[in-house]
Amino acid sequence: MAMKINTGQFHERVEKGIHNTFMRGAVAGAQERLRTRRLEAAAELGNWEQWRALGEEIRQHTLENLDYYLMQLSENVKKRGGHVFFAQTAEEANEYICRVVESKQAKKIVKSKSMVTEEIHMNAALEKLGCEVIETDLGEYILQVDDHDPPSHIVAPALHKNKEQIRDVFKEKLAYTKTEKPEELALHARHMLRHEYMTADVGITGCNFAVAETGSITLVTNEGNADLVTALPKTQITVMGMERIVPTFEEMEVLVSLLTRSAVGQKLTSYITVLTGPRDEGEVDGPEEFHLVIVDNGRSDILGTEFQPVLQCIRCAACVNVCPIYRHIGGHSYGSIYSGPIGAVLSPLLGGYDDYKELPYASTLCAACTEACPVKIPLHELLLKHRQTIVEREGKAPISEKLAMKAFGLGAASSMLYKLGSKIAPTAVNPFTVNDRISKGPGPLKAWTDIREFPAPEKERFRDWFKQRGEE
Amino acid sequence: MEAFLQRLSSRLGRDMPAFVERPQWKHAPQQTVFQGYSQDELLDELKKQCTRIHTTLVETTTDGLYHTIEQVIDAHGGGPIVVANDERYEQVGLSSFLKREDVHVWDVSLGRANIEAAEKANIGITFSDMTLAESGTVVLLNDRNQGRTISFLPKTYVAIIPKSTIVPRMTQAARIIREQKHVPSCINFITGPSNSADIEMNLVVGVHGPMKATYIVITDC
Amino acid sequence: MNVTLFVTCLVDLFHVNVGKATVELLERLGCTIHFPEAQTCCGQPAYNSGYVKEAKEAMKHMIRTFEHAEYIVTPSGSCATMFKEYPHIFKGDGEWEERAKRVADKTYELTQFIVDVLQVEDVGARLKGKATYHTSCHMTRLLGVKDAPLALLQHVKDLEVVPLPNAHNCCGFGGTFSVKMGPISEQMVDEKIQCIEQVEADYLIGADCGCLMNIGGRIERKGKPIRVMHIAEVLNSR
Repeated sequence: MAMKINTGQFHERVEKGIHNTFMRGAVAGAQERLRTRRLEAAAELGNWEQWRALGEEIRQHTLENLDYYLMQLSENVKKRGGHVFFAQTAEEANEYICRVVESKQAKKIVKSKSMVTEEIHMNAALEKLGCEVIETDLGEYILQVDDHDPPSHIVAPALHKNKEQIRDVFKEKLAYTKTEKPEELALHARHMLRHEYMTADVGITGCNFAVAETGSITLVTNEGNADLVTALPKTQITVMGMERIVPTFEEMEVLVSLLTRSAVGQKLTSYITVLTGPRDEGEVDGPEEFHLVIVDNGRSDILGTEFQPVLQCIRCAACVNVCPIYRHIGGHSYGSIYSGPIGAVLSPLLGGYDDYKELPYASTLCAACTEACPVKIPLHELLLKHRQTIVEREGKAPISEKLAMKAFGLGAASSMLYKLGSKIAPTAVNPFTVNDRISKGPGPLKAWTDIREFPAPEKERFRDWFKQRGEE
Repeated sequence: MEAFLQRLSSRLGRDMPAFVERPQWKHAPQQTVFQGYSQDELLDELKKQCTRIHTTLVETTTDGLYHTIEQVIDAHGGGPIVVANDERYEQVGLSSFLKREDVHVWDVSLGRANIEAAEKANIGITFSDMTLAESGTVVLLNDRNQGRTISFLPKTYVAIIPKSTIVPRMTQAARIIREQKHVPSCINFITGPSNSADIEMNLVVGVHGPMKATYIVITDC
Repeated sequence: MNVTLFVTCLVDLFHVNVGKATVELLERLGCTIHFPEAQTCCGQPAYNSGYVKEAKEAMKHMIRTFEHAEYIVTPSGSCATMFKEYPHIFKGDGEWEERAKRVADKTYELTQFIVDVLQVEDVGARLKGKATYHTSCHMTRLLGVKDAPLALLQHVKDLEVVPLPNAHNCCGFGGTFSVKMGPISEQMVDEKIQCIEQVEADYLIGADCGCLMNIGGRIERKGKPIRVMHIAEVLNSR
């Protein structure tokens, strides 16, 4: 699965999303639950804004010194006997991972949830080698079993599926015989996966936060799958986006607290595991060999630009869970594994405007995302910056819009032109006006009146009334 | 690596600094959680939190510990049991417990057989090295004598918590870990049993790891 | 008290009654209203579409028009937010940053002005029926005005105000979003209307003509018996 998950046009994908009634019900329900839980978890602390400010400060400081902290991380991983590989591109990352896997003559790989491995399309590269790659996060596992259905949410990847669909997929692919009860479905996955953990050659994980000072990586789950992935196979490969790093344990714990509260409203998730290097001498479980792959894949192009704050992201999906657009169109409409507001900002940066130019416009700039973000990324402002870039640097805006905005600039900057334009407005739309309402508008008005009535301009403007009143 | 990091330095518009001092952060809200609480108050918070994480908490004393452990084991269907090779068992008077037939004590000389024992075990037991009152979390600093899988593979996980190990939150644990010379290769922060909400947001307890968790707090230790 | 009214282009052209109500209400509260005729639009349509250069022309014009006011008051949370953003937009732009700040510092959304500056919560209004209030996004999240409109509405005689379910969700207006992303906007506004219907409100009250045009236009299209009113009109009801 690469970052791009859909080939159709944006508007077609949206159309499909809007008509997916189950998905929309599931998303709306999930949004309400997750939002409430997050607000409760934040309120409990009583000083959430201070926590956010601290989170922001830590992330900003780390990004401003990213080269230094990555160097420190890499040195400390090596000190503990781990291997570090810096991958500029997705290809370089996959090549290295494949090399390690081949050198171990590995056939079976178990994997815990990782967005960056989706982004670089790692599974496909490994499958080409003839390896079996098994997702162990329950949501990811369901999607994988269902012919690699793409994730629609960065925390709850199978959010768009209902239990009946999952039951049917399990029946078809996994010889499942029980009902659609989530407990029974999960139990089946447990049995299937237990065997895989015990017999896998390599375990691959993502990384929530690397700790520079100790060379550690932190994995956050509720299921405990990352623990089994890292405890049982002989070789562990951890893939991290290069920005997922903090200076020390003390900053890690703050960000973990922000992450778990924001993502699922928990004080901490069931399993937070901090791994440092391979197993120590004499240890029986844990990997004999540890590889850390640090991936750039377009991130450095963001560094040092006005979009740098997006790299503060800790992938909690709080923005997704409050987004009114995501609510109605679902994750797949974004055409990227990164959906919702964070996806609308990040996808054009990592994947280019050609594929993702509509995403910055898929927002009312309502700022619910910005308000929810635990590390204070100004998401709606970054969407605006995208629009500005599309207009000014990419020149990708439609001509009609450019002309209209030019006219706007002239009109609004000149009281003479504004007065004239506003005075003739009622006459201009007169042919379309019925009972002071426009139901079938011309030109740009049509898109409005396809959905709603538009008020006809009043015959007496406010300014005329006010002036006349003064004269009386 | 050099080209990779150099690119970052140039994007940041400077050379890589030789040393970066962590700033004094402007805010420190994490320090105020349960600040100044006594061990009794922290235990109360821990108890409250356990009701929210599907975890049974039982209190006992050193004298009553043996009996309590047996009760907990019986309540969860008995052995086989896997435990760490930990001198603390002796200190709290559990030496004879370790000699039970259905107890497997982690033994590095047995190699992978330990993992198989853990996989077959019904119950895994470890001591908590630090316990976080706020989140109801036990912290395990694993080593050669305490395999990682003890707390994951068995169906039920039991943590023995000396009351003195309770601290307000992860903040204190992070500081203590930083002060150690050697950071353990695997540190677990475990908060209740394994669970997932991946199917229609329904909470299912017990996905890959333990389906049940019990904390035994030793109040005089 | 001297109030310089920024009436907004939507009110000037399409919702004249909102402007009239604003003037009458403020006068009753003892203010003297000034209306600079040179005023046009705050620049938001261009700014939010990415046309910063064009937007800045409009903004400079508005700064010139309003910088000498004592208080600038506008019956729109969104346009007030835009004025408040000016210093940020003109950051590093020499004298304009300073001038923008002067304008921003004395700009108030109407209800904010009444409650915070005039220190009035009961304006002596009366309206019979059941109402629910739409918290517009810019006013609530960016301008940070949450309590003032509700405090004022609570004092309107004979009016029962009930909370709007899922009030935090945007109504789907978003300026050009409403036409650029029509199908999504339609879903959003329909959900908003469902929520309004759920509480069986006679009135939907809001403080932003953009949102009200969107919700109201859809309500009319669907022929629903809900009356859409700007809060200025409610507070001016007798």
